[in-house]
Amino acid sequence: MTETDVAIIGGGINGGSTGLELAKNGLNVTIIDKNFICRGASGVNAGTLTMHMTRAQLIPYAKKGWELWMNTSEWLSKEIDVEKKNGLCLAFTEDEEKLLIERSKIRKYYGADISIISIKEAQRIDPNINSSIKCAAFCEMDGYVSANQTGNAYSKALKENKVKILENYDVSKIDYHKNKYVIIFKNGEKLTASSIILATGVNLEKTLKLLQINIKIKCLPQQLIVSERMPKIMDTVITVANGKLSLKQFKNGTVLIGGGWPGIGNIEDNYTETKPENLIGNMMLACHAIPRLKSSRVARVWLGLEAETDDAMPIIGEIPNYENAYVIGSIHSGYTSGPYMGKLLAEKILGKDIDLSLFDIKRFL
Amino acid sequence: MAILINNRKYDVIVIGAGPSGVSSAVNCAKKGLKVLIVDLNSNTGGQIYRAPPKTYKSISKKLKENEIQKQLSNEIKKFKIETAYNHTVWQVSPGFKVNAFNETSTIQWQSKSLIIATGTYEKIIPFEGWTIPGVIGLAACTIILKAHHFIPSKKIVLAGNGPLLMLVAYYVIQFGGKIDAIVDTSSKIDWIKSSFSLMTNPKNFRDGIKWVFKIFLNRIPVYSNSTIEKAFEVDEGIKLKIRNLKTGKAKNIISETIAIGHGLIPSTDITRLLRAEHIYDEQKGGWIAKVDRFLRSSVRGVYLAGDGAGISGALAASDKGLLASSTLLYDEKIISQKEFDQNTYKILKKLDKYEVFSKAISKLNSTPKKIIENIDNGTVICRCEDITKSEILRAVDQGARDINQIKSWTRLGMGPCQGRTCQYAASKIVAEYLNYEIDNLGYLTGRSPIRPVPLDRVLGDFDYEKITKVEAAPL
Repeated sequence: MTETDVAIIGGGINGGSTGLELAKNGLNVTIIDKNFICRGASGVNAGTLTMHMTRAQLIPYAKKGWELWMNTSEWLSKEIDVEKKNGLCLAFTEDEEKLLIERSKIRKYYGADISIISIKEAQRIDPNINSSIKCAAFCEMDGYVSANQTGNAYSKALKENKVKILENYDVSKIDYHKNKYVIIFKNGEKLTASSIILATGVNLEKTLKLLQINIKIKCLPQQLIVSERMPKIMDTVITVANGKLSLKQFKNGTVLIGGGWPGIGNIEDNYTETKPENLIGNMMLACHAIPRLKSSRVARVWLGLEAETDDAMPIIGEIPNYENAYVIGSIHSGYTSGPYMGKLLAEKILGKDIDLSLFDIKRFL
Repeated sequence: MAILINNRKYDVIVIGAGPSGVSSAVNCAKKGLKVLIVDLNSNTGGQIYRAPPKTYKSISKKLKENEIQKQLSNEIKKFKIETAYNHTVWQVSPGFKVNAFNETSTIQWQSKSLIIATGTYEKIIPFEGWTIPGVIGLAACTIILKAHHFIPSKKIVLAGNGPLLMLVAYYVIQFGGKIDAIVDTSSKIDWIKSSFSLMTNPKNFRDGIKWVFKIFLNRIPVYSNSTIEKAFEVDEGIKLKIRNLKTGKAKNIISETIAIGHGLIPSTDITRLLRAEHIYDEQKGGWIAKVDRFLRSSVRGVYLAGDGAGISGALAASDKGLLASSTLLYDEKIISQKEFDQNTYKILKKLDKYEVFSKAISKLNSTPKKIIENIDNGTVICRCEDITKSEILRAVDQGARDINQIKSWTRLGMGPCQGRTCQYAASKIVAEYLNYEIDNLGYLTGRSPIRPVPLDRVLGDFDYEKITKVEAAPL
């Protein structure tokens, strides 16, 4: 039986960022994934790093996360493309204008540097946007990551920091006695750890049950659409007032349409299926925002499973009734703030005085 | 709304109007089923009997293939089968809902069962320079010849392997072209060895002899055990380097076009989308949908006709169509056990005979290890995304261990062809490099749309107010 200081179940950006920080501080870390590193939501999400879609209370964390993403070569790896872009959040109707002003005001209160601008100013920032908008919200702190490279980047960084990675290891049981955790895998192998961290994303409900913790985690199957490569048709990250669109063009020319339009999917058999009417709605909204997009062809559609708690706020911190057991997950717009959240949890585990009370899992128990 | 929903529910939708699609559609229609046959081409025939464009009025000499195509179309008309030609299927979902687009819009049909007769596409092992203009697929070349009745250029090099080399050579000579070389990865001994098995199908064998004889009479240089290692544009045309894989000797020649192909790959786009089980069978063309002896896939109500579940060639295609459709009729309790047994007994016997033939063909189409090793590191493997062999191997060095992980790290297979062209070669390269069994690498997850969908056709003209409303994201 092998031993490790910290066993992290779930190799997405939450588990990966926590593990990386712990390993950099000298702990012996093992990351376990039932599939491959960052092949769930962490690898298939839209990669948007925007304040316009972040939940107001999470703005301070998203800002820190954004800064980390902007300098990945220092703490993560050079193997990932990150671009800083201006962010424009558009309102097409009077109702949306009201909503946008109200939401931007609250986000600003929580620290986002968002300002409401006129059509003219918005068009100066990106002349490609629909000229029939009522107004826009502008934020310089925006951009995107090529999320498909997440796995490569994390995998490389973790290995360089001597984190042991167990891929295709599915956990069937966690035993706890004498202050030690014994993780038993479906293949019969075992791993002993002094601390454990559960970071299984959309599977957290099931994983927490292994420690007799019963909370509800919703599974949101989100659709994503990508175009073929095309000439430059936009230069900003575009979002809309109600938060249901994210749109950007990558360096290679492909345009990614996201925004969390639901498809069909479940965790049990990892099945996902698109909902054509929602694809159409999402595409229409995108083409309405950037009219030239309509001349492109859709190359691929896929789905990612997002985890959400009942109050749509994260669960991060200690697991009650256990020593040295932690959870991290269900972070709304989690790709932006994930690296920072992971760092915070690691610092807490290392004994720093970090306040995570906002994310305490106890609120659901 | 530019998606037209056709609420009429069909008993069966047949996707693909090649010989197997047509025979299965006719078999179902004969028993009174409501059938729709869909194809992206303008008529029946598939790739093998592709019809000349409707506008080609002056084609005087009809080829044998063109006659067979006419017969297929007549069958469809005779049984009044509904057709949707010029429709490209881009999404199939359980239930079954089939979405396709044509020149103006996209349409959705529904059916109880599906017969997938989408055939194959061609397999090309890349070499340095395969993406320059003037390099085309061997199967693409047969389409130019058979459906358009012309040769891509006066001077041509044919390369790759298998009987298609000989067929194309025959037609090129027939249409007055000059073949500068035939570059075959197989040896002459491979051909002689397989000829005994090929004889089990006398009709095709006779054709083969006719082709080879023509090549011999025209003194066309044949390079056996050889591959094209490199090609680049020069003032006179294309300069190419032929490498003998056995002796290591190289020879440079100049020509105008290269037609290259290493066999065919069964199309699994729809079955992968439906999350059917797939198995790897090198002899049958690589990854194929798993079917039982009666061509049922692992998804209830989905049947495979033709080469989609393993290559057995044009002659077997219509029989496989009959088999798949008879199984469907039996499963739907339209024909009795007795009738089913009677129908299938004869077909299965015939198919067993074809099997010997098709195994011999696939042997000639096998990919020698050496040509994979011989691919230069700078060679582009995924041409949609410009991913080279060395970029693939770099991802492997960094720990990628399955094809979807390689896709995610390198963008291989993320372009408009969705990996149809590169998956086979990329998997071979990685399996070779890691000394892995190729099936351990898995296959690319099926993703919609199967073919790129023009947004304007899906969306049409719309008003902002008409866009579906979804719940706002939480603040």
